[in-house]
Amino acid sequence: MRKDLLRRSVSRRTFVRGSSAALAAGLSLSTWERIQAAAQQSTPTTNIRGTKLRILQWSHFVPAYDTWFDAFAKAWGEANDVEVTVDHINTADVPATIAAEISAGEGHDLVEHIASLAQYEKSMLDLTDLVQEASARHGEQLAMCRNNSFNPTTNRFYGFCHGYAPDPGNFRKALWEAAGYPNGPSTWDELLEGGTKIRQEQGVQMGIGMSNEIDSQMAAQTLMWAFGAQVQDENENVVINSPETIAAVEFMAQLYQNCMTDEVFGWNAASNNQLLIQGQASYILNSISAYRTAQEAQPDVASDIYFTRPLVGPAGPERALAHGHAVFIYQIPNHAEYPDTAKEFILHLVDNYKDACYEGKFYNFPAWPSLTPELFAEGGWLDNDPFGSEPADKLVPIKDANDWTTNLGWPGPANAAIGEVFNVPILPNMMARAARGEQTPAESVAQAEQEIKEIFERWKAEGLIGGGQA
Amino acid sequence: MSTATGRSETPAIAWSEDADVPEGRYLLDRAGLLGPLMLLPAIIYIIGLVGIPLVLAVLYSFSNATVGDQSINWVGLENFRTVVQNATFRMALKNTILFAFVSQIIVIILANILALVLSAEFRGKRLVRFLVMLPWTTPIALAVLGWFWMLDNVASPIDALMRMLHIIGPDTIFDPKARAPILDIPFGDRNVRWLSKPDLARLAVLTVHVWRTLPLATVILLAGMTAIPQDVKDAAEIDGASYWRQLIYVRLPLLAPIMAVAVLYGIVFTFTDFTVVYVLTRGGPVDSTQVLATWAYFKGIQGSSLAQGAAIALFLLPILVAAAIVMLRLARRSETA
Repeated sequence: MRKDLLRRSVSRRTFVRGSSAALAAGLSLSTWERIQAAAQQSTPTTNIRGTKLRILQWSHFVPAYDTWFDAFAKAWGEANDVEVTVDHINTADVPATIAAEISAGEGHDLVEHIASLAQYEKSMLDLTDLVQEASARHGEQLAMCRNNSFNPTTNRFYGFCHGYAPDPGNFRKALWEAAGYPNGPSTWDELLEGGTKIRQEQGVQMGIGMSNEIDSQMAAQTLMWAFGAQVQDENENVVINSPETIAAVEFMAQLYQNCMTDEVFGWNAASNNQLLIQGQASYILNSISAYRTAQEAQPDVASDIYFTRPLVGPAGPERALAHGHAVFIYQIPNHAEYPDTAKEFILHLVDNYKDACYEGKFYNFPAWPSLTPELFAEGGWLDNDPFGSEPADKLVPIKDANDWTTNLGWPGPANAAIGEVFNVPILPNMMARAARGEQTPAESVAQAEQEIKEIFERWKAEGLIGGGQA
Repeated sequence: MSTATGRSETPAIAWSEDADVPEGRYLLDRAGLLGPLMLLPAIIYIIGLVGIPLVLAVLYSFSNATVGDQSINWVGLENFRTVVQNATFRMALKNTILFAFVSQIIVIILANILALVLSAEFRGKRLVRFLVMLPWTTPIALAVLGWFWMLDNVASPIDALMRMLHIIGPDTIFDPKARAPILDIPFGDRNVRWLSKPDLARLAVLTVHVWRTLPLATVILLAGMTAIPQDVKDAAEIDGASYWRQLIYVRLPLLAPIMAVAVLYGIVFTFTDFTVVYVLTRGGPVDSTQVLATWAYFKGIQGSSLAQGAAIALFLLPILVAAAIVMLRLARRSETA
């Protein structure tokens, strides 16, 4: 608990009023007080009084964040005479809802998705001024956050990335200990070897999806990077059809045959979490949200869940990378009625990111690391988890996540073509076709290349991506 | 009855004797005005929710529109050329046709049986009718979500029942290492994993379509059965026709037109359905249950390529137009009969 923020003198009336309001919002009194204090201290740079702010965003995987956020936004609105409404929807429905609003030419003033939506750039405002302002206040933005929201071809920030969630490996310690890996796997070879042993000797499968959902997409990317493969190069040229990608697909096929069941082909985004919480997965790739859920739903399982950094593959430690499990990107549509109000609110959120990070139980990492020194400090939140981890330093493997987390489409930027590739399950299908024996790895990669090239050509014609440079 | 000028005779004479009748009522009494007026809501509805989207879809399909930039720049047949070259599209087209026609063949057989049962007198008939209608009255998204849970990879109650009957699981009556020859069911495993194998996932989608459209077909056939003249049935009875002869030579031929209506409705519903596949499988595993409606959505909305999404969706049009023409012909035939 953050005692420094609790120690303040309050009158009895303030205490009673605050307690009632906090109770009504589902918050602790200390959290409610912090929200009120932050709202009172907010100093908008433009006159936004009498305006409205309608926010559409995903339902956070850590529900406590949404409870905090709603109260945070409301308090800011009340302090600045802005009528604020916040609509949370399932993350899978966010792109379609934004698309519908773009089509209608009306809707929310501020929209947030957990992945780059570069495809919508032409319908979104350029937020360069906002990013510059935030950087002026808080230092340099993380490169992966910048690359997930900036288009170098048009030189526009089509989104504002305020943070991300690391995507480590989650493993069951008891199972891996029995297989001879007390600290879990650290390389893809160890994953295959240990996973095979666990499946054969302990009958527990591994859960890396190959389905039409977001976690499968990210798993495929991580594996490809570790093998030295990539979808595009720095200059946005398609380079997926390479010996490295074929090797990665071959490896995934072997991993499936030795360690998994065919349920990984029919998963949705929640499936690997469920499998882990049910105690039926030895290893999954996911953020800490599955663990946080298990802490409440299955404490015995949670106590056995530990984390690993991205696994090292044949391409070496520098390519042991992960995409942000969720990358929080706000966009302001061209049709927004009050864009300045939306910008002021974003700045207010960033200014108070310490609370966002804490209330999200460290699911949210800041795009400006200077915002939460407590998170990374020696003996800080990740070294000593205040949310009941046993041991308390369980989250240490994600402490250096800023070093191994990169953007969608790395080493190129998260452009519109990559966005489409990410939203249509080309990469998981490429893995799955080979794993199921429907195609050889080379054939499967060739099919993926054909599909991806068509997408890149189309977006290049739209003028939204570069490509073609040496 | 109307005159050649379109005015109704009887009320006009009656009202002409009443000086207190307001002018507006005379206007509303004109068939030439009242008819179009009453049709207007339907016309607005059709233009707004069918006509304009259809025209937009056609325009988009010949353009390079994206979700982010919906301006329409002519690209000719480029989108159609691109989508037909895509393997997922071909799979989606095949599945759309398969789900629509196979499900309706099953539905029409089951609906005939159900309608025959429900046309007989027995105790609890009302309750059975209510239960039969239930799938049709349940909101489709909720119903499919229910199926999704029933077919869950780990907690499926269907699997639990199969384990209880020793069909699957460690104590299966079959060889634990064997798999069912057609549907690839792993006998020794605790779970079938219905939505993770292409054939089983297709079977799941088909089952939900049948479950969903069976009540409507049954009700339509039931109405058709009650419309068969009693004297025709009596004549067949007096002539000594057996039950099966009556069924095959008397009832079914008389029911044929109404059966065609039931099948057409079913085909239209299943052919255009999005929810069943989206909620149940999201087109997986490996696109094996993808249909045109879901693929158009993934490509057009999720992927943001509005033009290609529209081109994919337009492949639904020929079948729907054909169904509409047949329906209109049937309706006209029944009017003239």
